[in-house]
Amino acid sequence: MSDAFASLAHDLGAAFKESSGEPWPDDVFERWALRVFAYQFETNPVYAAYVGKRGVTPSRLAHWGEIPWVPASAFKAVPFVSGDSSRVQRVFRTSGTTVAGRRGEHHVLDLNLYKHSLVPNMRRHLYSGILPILALAPAPAQAPESSLSFMLGVALEVLSGGEGGFFVTQNGVIDTVGLSAALVEASARETPVLLAGTAFAFVHWLDWLKEQSGGFNLPPGSLIMETGGFKGRSRVLGRPEFYAALSEAHGVPCEAIVNEYGMTELLSQFYDGPVAATSGMALEALGARRHVPPPWVRTRVLDPNTLSPLSTGEPGLLCHYDLANAGSVMAVLTEDLGIAVDDGFRVLGRAQGAEARGCSLAMDDLLSGVPS
Amino acid sequence: MTTTFDACWLPSSSSESPTAESPLAWETIDLSESLAVRYPVWSDDAAEWLLEALKEVGTRLADVPVRDVVSGVGRVADRFLDSSDPIRSRAIDLLVPTAGISKEMASEVLTGMARDWTAERLDELLQRELRDRGVLDGFSRLDEGRSMRASGPPLTFHVGAGTVPGVSVTSMIRALLVKSAVLLKPGLGDVVLPVLFAEALAEEAPELAGAMAVTYWLGGSSPLEGLALERAGAVVAYGSDEAITSLRARTPVTARFIAYHHRLSVGLVGRGALTVERASHVARMAARAVSMFDQRGCVSPQAIYVEEGGAVGPGEWAALLASAMADLEAELPGGYVTASEASAVHQTRGSAELREATGSGVRVFRADEGLWTVILEDELGFTPSCLNRVVSVFPAPDLCDVAGSLGGVGRYLQTVVVEGADDRLPKLAEALCRAGATRITSFEKAPWPPPWWRHDGASVFAGLIRWVDLEEIDP
Repeated sequence: MSDAFASLAHDLGAAFKESSGEPWPDDVFERWALRVFAYQFETNPVYAAYVGKRGVTPSRLAHWGEIPWVPASAFKAVPFVSGDSSRVQRVFRTSGTTVAGRRGEHHVLDLNLYKHSLVPNMRRHLYSGILPILALAPAPAQAPESSLSFMLGVALEVLSGGEGGFFVTQNGVIDTVGLSAALVEASARETPVLLAGTAFAFVHWLDWLKEQSGGFNLPPGSLIMETGGFKGRSRVLGRPEFYAALSEAHGVPCEAIVNEYGMTELLSQFYDGPVAATSGMALEALGARRHVPPPWVRTRVLDPNTLSPLSTGEPGLLCHYDLANAGSVMAVLTEDLGIAVDDGFRVLGRAQGAEARGCSLAMDDLLSGVPS
Repeated sequence: MTTTFDACWLPSSSSESPTAESPLAWETIDLSESLAVRYPVWSDDAAEWLLEALKEVGTRLADVPVRDVVSGVGRVADRFLDSSDPIRSRAIDLLVPTAGISKEMASEVLTGMARDWTAERLDELLQRELRDRGVLDGFSRLDEGRSMRASGPPLTFHVGAGTVPGVSVTSMIRALLVKSAVLLKPGLGDVVLPVLFAEALAEEAPELAGAMAVTYWLGGSSPLEGLALERAGAVVAYGSDEAITSLRARTPVTARFIAYHHRLSVGLVGRGALTVERASHVARMAARAVSMFDQRGCVSPQAIYVEEGGAVGPGEWAALLASAMADLEAELPGGYVTASEASAVHQTRGSAELREATGSGVRVFRADEGLWTVILEDELGFTPSCLNRVVSVFPAPDLCDVAGSLGGVGRYLQTVVVEGADDRLPKLAEALCRAGATRITSFEKAPWPPPWWRHDGASVFAGLIRWVDLEEIDP
């Protein structure tokens, strides 16, 4: 690891750790953001060339909001490494939709910095005490390319005191028997648990439970964390319907179901409760929930056409400035539509038209069924 | 102030119209601050009434001579082309918010579409496709040993895509030529021209307009859709692969099903067009072909292959194309884009700019304002465009090798533009035929295939008419 990165990562990790979770003052975030940008400009020639074409240099930057973003899809095209690429510790890859058979890649120089970001954030939003974690995701050893599995693995080790386990196999099959047994045991011992996984896995889990006419009554204090949405999947479920089913099948109130908004391209995550919630966590108020960034992330909402920042309340594209991405690129423009609300943002979903216009095809459509 | 446009035209000939007895319920979509589109909600009973009414008129339509159909439709086309006729300006004003295109583009598209609806062009279409248009009125002796008659079904059901305005009208005209009554569900982007066409036809040739119904609904949401699929003798569907698959599955085996699913088009520019004299002109034509319909047409090129070794290289030609795209943005400005469409362009552009920044041969030319983007790639390949005037330019060592690299997209390939292939054209055309292309043309002609174009490879009337052979029988 280059000395410059080691010292930056060390300082960032310490700052994340010391943080109370309350938003940092603007000048504090600004200082950090400019330091990370200057570092990335210095050590990432591809990003520097891209930034240079926009006439931006660290010395000419007046505000962190001027730091040039890269589009999330560029993680499919370019390996972003700010530092010595021979020191990359792990490459996380996106699942789901691929362009020309390529998946997005996040080259991570320092897994510890990722841990320093995810642990306090998860603790703040999901762990009021030590909860065993039951993960509807493959174990990290089975899915080394999954940033979600890595995150849940760290949670198991650091936040759940080693209690819990993973209940999806390498091939994506749910260990229904194992998970049922774990949930029965938690109920019997009256130990609250954190049940965490992808929305897609939860839907299959719910289908199985329904077939078995099964259900659980988890002890009070139990939480469910779901993530990932249904992008590109054959089965799509509305969020109210999904939460009602989760709530009923596990005997947890809707208020105890939390969405994690995260992506392989970012090493920080966003949660919409329960700490984020001051009110409105009930099923009827799902639409009023908001995602709250940790102090080391700022999110801007950009006009989809002009890409200039929008004021609070106007829907646009979410663009995240994540200091935990120090080893890759900190500013990432997503394809997600959202609205800025007081201390966070509300995700409106993937940018989608009412009716598709044009003979536009995804590469997947073109390649599906074509013998190779 | 908001104007409301009724995306609906119903035959008024029947005295038992449900609109008098039990008025239709309506729903409204706000398309812009100034325009809302209103459409009826069809109950089972109302759907039944409409299809019965159309069938009844359709039966009478069989007795109208085809020359009257041609002249009636032709008179409407002339009005759409006449800049002093208020219907033209009304059409253009309404196309802007409904089709999401600029006013300049709306005018261009309307002219391009309506000139193929004129009597002269329709006559030529019938002549080319049927040899004797009289076969639509009665038996005619086309060859030895038999007489022939071409008969259309009493009712055809058309589902439009809404991608390019005017396509639904063309589809309706073909049905009227074979004397079928028409039910059209246009796409939201193409609701205006069919309704205005029907209104004008009611003035110019009332006996024809009575055989048409146009009504919008959200695909899959109306009882009229299921009933129309059951009753129509032919179903003509334009749309996404998903939409076509769904309609095809619900069409009875006894009905003809004519489908125009997703397609894509590309361009090939050979050394013959890369001389200093010709390169700019070809680039200007290419910019027009890419930008027309804001690239939403199946005929819109999504990638252009430029041969290496000409006086103007692929990189220089890409720069010429970019300059032409910029000029065209001023002449025919881009239209409205959704957040998703804009987002797709930003993602594509940004990714390409980062590939450029790696020091590869990729270069990105882009609008400062507006969406047009030319991406010069550094190796032969294919990438589908995110549309809205985003085109990739691939360097090709030899034009004749390009057909091979299109193999993977052959199932979707439609128009292939070839410029400057010179004496290699026959060989190249054969290779493109094998790669799946159904039309080989120039950039200039690409956006405007003639009425007799065998769209996606099938004869114009192939699915619409039933041929009847009357063989010679000894008396």
